[in-house]
Amino acid sequence: MITIVWAIIRKDVAQMSRDRFFAYITILGLVAYVALFWGLPSTVDETLNLGIHGVGADLLAEQLGAEEGLDLEVFDTSDALEQAVTDGDLVAGVDFPNDFLPAVTTGNQATVTVYVPADTTDDIRTAISGLVRELAYLVAGSALPITPPAEDEIILGPDRAGDQVPLKDKMRPLLAVFLLMMEMMSLASLIAQEIRSKTVTAVLVTPARTTDFLAAKTILGTALAFTEVVLLMVAIGAFGSEPLVLLTALLLAAFLVTGLALLAGSTGRDFIEILLLSVALIVPMMIPAGAALFPGSAAPWIKVLPSYGMTQAIVRASAYGAGWAETAPYLLMTLAWCVGVFAVGVFALKRKVETL
Amino acid sequence: MSSAAIVVDGISFAYGGRRAVDDVGFTVDRGETLGFLGPNGAGKSTTIKMLTGRLRPQTGTITILDMSMPSQASKIQARMGVAFEEKNLYANMTAKENLVFFGRLFGVPDLDPDSLLDRVDLAGRGDDRVAEFSKGMKQRLMIARVLINTPDVLLLDEPTDGLDPVSSQAIRHVIREEAERGAAILLTTHDMAEADKLSDRVAFIDRGRVLVTDTPENLKLTYGTRSVRIRARRDGQIVESVIPLDEPGADERIRQAVAAHELLTIHTQEATLEDIFIHFAGRGLDA
Repeated sequence: MITIVWAIIRKDVAQMSRDRFFAYITILGLVAYVALFWGLPSTVDETLNLGIHGVGADLLAEQLGAEEGLDLEVFDTSDALEQAVTDGDLVAGVDFPNDFLPAVTTGNQATVTVYVPADTTDDIRTAISGLVRELAYLVAGSALPITPPAEDEIILGPDRAGDQVPLKDKMRPLLAVFLLMMEMMSLASLIAQEIRSKTVTAVLVTPARTTDFLAAKTILGTALAFTEVVLLMVAIGAFGSEPLVLLTALLLAAFLVTGLALLAGSTGRDFIEILLLSVALIVPMMIPAGAALFPGSAAPWIKVLPSYGMTQAIVRASAYGAGWAETAPYLLMTLAWCVGVFAVGVFALKRKVETL
Repeated sequence: MSSAAIVVDGISFAYGGRRAVDDVGFTVDRGETLGFLGPNGAGKSTTIKMLTGRLRPQTGTITILDMSMPSQASKIQARMGVAFEEKNLYANMTAKENLVFFGRLFGVPDLDPDSLLDRVDLAGRGDDRVAEFSKGMKQRLMIARVLINTPDVLLLDEPTDGLDPVSSQAIRHVIREEAERGAAILLTTHDMAEADKLSDRVAFIDRGRVLVTDTPENLKLTYGTRSVRIRARRDGQIVESVIPLDEPGADERIRQAVAAHELLTIHTQEATLEDIFIHFAGRGLDA
């Protein structure tokens, strides 16, 4: 059996290497993804750019100018402040009215105008409102009504202030999925070609069995996908403190797309069908990878997609140095999906080749 | 060891409710070529699928080289060569690469592809990609592939269909050589003339059933009509007469026709296999 499987693999490698489209697009993709990764900024700007205008602005700038992470800019006019916010130069602009000091010193209410860009989210708006209250206390010369808690009492996990994970580090799973998609299409195309030309029938009337054919495709697909995605991860510096965890996640990812390729290859008849099927199968794989770019927990429906576990394991291992204990649930989730997808892929392909 | 390399006994197969092969039986001896003849859709391909182990007969048994198909498929396939009607070769690989690959599958790592290519008149084309080959060259390469494992049984599906005379002749030559070597050959075709040239015996199949199995000669003698066509000149006019040989007094009628006139041509006419097929099936191959 091993001799036959190895013979089929050698033949498949020869065939794939002659498919110039996929050979070029894989190399091109690899180079492009590496270039994209290293072209992105490697630090996160944590400074809060805030504009202020009105009574007490100079005083605030003087008092808070040295605060880490806060950049206060004083504007001479309300219009200039509003324009700066509109232009996107500021996170927010705070405009203190001329009657602010008299009002607060006499215990009356004063209205402070806050300018925020149109795309500011609710949580940022709420945070800015809190900050404005704090600034108002400072302008009024009053102490805050509460004592801020000490940092070590409120930060859960390692303090990453000033050391945030940059966006590009969170992009690694997305780049991996892009590359795996190329590999999936390449294998699916090879399988479809064997079915269309009925060369698989010629193979199956020799001592080769259907299991040999399936094993060869699985080994080749997984090995190629794994090698390419490992090369990508090496090139974009993903291997940190937990290389084995990352390798395991990548191996499972390679196995997962091989299962999808078996399914696409057994269903699609030509290049266009393979392309459409591959896109249809790979888009759901991209969603968890895209969601990993943004802070906060992913929506529940995203968590049940096949690539969610793989994405989380890659991000956590490569960007946060997470170990086996932390990534185990995600790896197990991916393994379960691998088994399911692969079983469906094998069933579809076996049925197809045996009914030719 | 039985002298029959292929023994098919009462096999049937139905796709859903449609019976494609119905109680089919025949044998092929070692060194014998059996022409399996019938129109498209007669059940030839389904029978071949069962003989190659790709379909399991719903009734009946298949014994090849004293082994049971499909339960001993691997062992049988190691000693079998199959050429399909479709040119299912790897088009982006060279002729040699195709042969070497199948050699590995058959466990023939030291295969000499050049000698195989030489046998089918493709010497010097081994390094060319199959995609560049004509239909006839592809078919000849298919025959070369069949020979990789020096098979004891050859199943050839329409091996000369639509080929140029040169390619057909090359393939016929190889088939005769293989039969002389002692291989049992099952040749499926709808080309009656081709079957007549190559087959020791023929089996007619139609609507899933084998109608008759015998040598082409016996079939034609038993079921066909023979006649003599005589063209002669009489009183300046050309007269043609056809005299059936199987009717009483045929000898005397021929003598009279030859003696009484100025003889121009005389031909014997025998039944063709197609005539015999029509006799049994009640329709021609294209019906």
